[in-house]
Amino acid sequence: MRFLVHLQSCLRRAAAVGVVASISLGVAVPAAHAAGTAAGTNISNTASASYTDSNGKAVTLASNTVQITVDEILNVKVAAADPGNVVSQAAATNQVMTFTVTNTGNGQQPFALTANGNIGGGQFNPTVTSVVLDTNGNGVYDPGVDTVYTPGKNEPVIKPDASIKVFVLSTIPATATNGNLGLASLSAQPTIGAGTPGTVLAGKGNGGVDAVVGASGALSSDKNAYVIQQAQMTFVKSAVIADQFGGATPVPGATITYSLVANVTGSGALSGLVITDVIPPNTTYQAGSMTLQGAALTDAADSDAGSFTGTGINVALGSVPAGQTRTVTFKVKIN
Amino acid sequence: MKILLTLIALAAPISAMADGQISTKLSAFVEKTVHDANGTKLVLEDRKQIFPGEKVVYVLSYHNAGQAAVSNFAITDPIPGPVSFESTPDANALVSVDGGKSWGSLATLKIAAGSGFRAARPEDVTHVRWALKTAIPAGAEGKLSFRGTVK
Repeated sequence: MRFLVHLQSCLRRAAAVGVVASISLGVAVPAAHAAGTAAGTNISNTASASYTDSNGKAVTLASNTVQITVDEILNVKVAAADPGNVVSQAAATNQVMTFTVTNTGNGQQPFALTANGNIGGGQFNPTVTSVVLDTNGNGVYDPGVDTVYTPGKNEPVIKPDASIKVFVLSTIPATATNGNLGLASLSAQPTIGAGTPGTVLAGKGNGGVDAVVGASGALSSDKNAYVIQQAQMTFVKSAVIADQFGGATPVPGATITYSLVANVTGSGALSGLVITDVIPPNTTYQAGSMTLQGAALTDAADSDAGSFTGTGINVALGSVPAGQTRTVTFKVKIN
Repeated sequence: MKILLTLIALAAPISAMADGQISTKLSAFVEKTVHDANGTKLVLEDRKQIFPGEKVVYVLSYHNAGQAAVSNFAITDPIPGPVSFESTPDANALVSVDGGKSWGSLATLKIAAGSGFRAARPEDVTHVRWALKTAIPAGAEGKLSFRGTVK
């Protein structure tokens, strides 16, 4: 009896300190960040007791076993996965925008995907032509290898806390011009349902447990932009070795001349172009050996384009129009 | 006669021993915070399903159904794997953080961390144990409980 009182007083104390300012919708929404114990897990508990009976005999006994089953929380997170905007050209097809879809719930679920190129926010609307699942899990779009997503047919099944990459492929309008942005989005939700956080989907979770819509609303979306860059660049590095004996053997004391060639193609220009290169290990930069278009550059960070940073070279080319090439060379000596 | 004995054994409550004086019952409740016009209070819901992050309260009831007192009553409950121990209202309860090898109050226990030790935390608890210092008189009953969170 004494212990019952203890329990109640403790709960009352907890209640007293548990008063916090919050708006309650009446339904507790479990946290979205951690998937937690897997849905359908049986939590089983059995206690054991021992005592000395009135005859002085030691008695042990096991309690009944009580079981509770873990319900399912539905949550999902979609995030654009490209390092920045997706560089594209007018009229280009199958332009790949990459998203990560993460199951942030605690049950394995198939997820329905929707891509949309008509969300505005830019200067053109890309036409989404297909959504492709990263079937081989390498994070890169592999045409003919990764599976095209067909709604209602091959929804990706994602385990709790696991994620997949999804590729949205678009055609860029021919009217898009240099610097234009065109936005596209991907959204994902479990096929069994989404909606207001706290919505209970009775018996629809893994193993027939109840599923409840988590804080994400079991619906997530993210977007990214295609950016039109009509000028492109190829970049080639080559090396020529000259040893001190008149040959081309990479022996200590030999000089290596590196050439870095940036070739801008297409139309328009690339602005803010900078060429950097790190001096390789076991070699020493040869002071004053930097050139741009055949003209010498000083090593100091000054009015000319080049500088030696102590660990590498840095040549700021500024804006380079399409159709032009910039060549930087420098020399190192093998230690 | 043999058949009759078997039937009696089947009919007996799960936890009651043939010559046992003590019966026990373990129950699990989901602890919910309820907001209403009078403020906030905690209620224990008798549910068979629970969400990660929710609090579970295990209540162990015992009853001396015999004609005489029993002594040295102790009860041990291993914390289920998916549950993180939080607290027990009984200051005399002992806990173990090493699978039941050693026991003490939480504040006295340490756990290996790196090359040394750190103070044990509630989530380290693997077992909880109550050992009553006084005898349980005939007919007496009581309850013990602990609270945890579903991971």
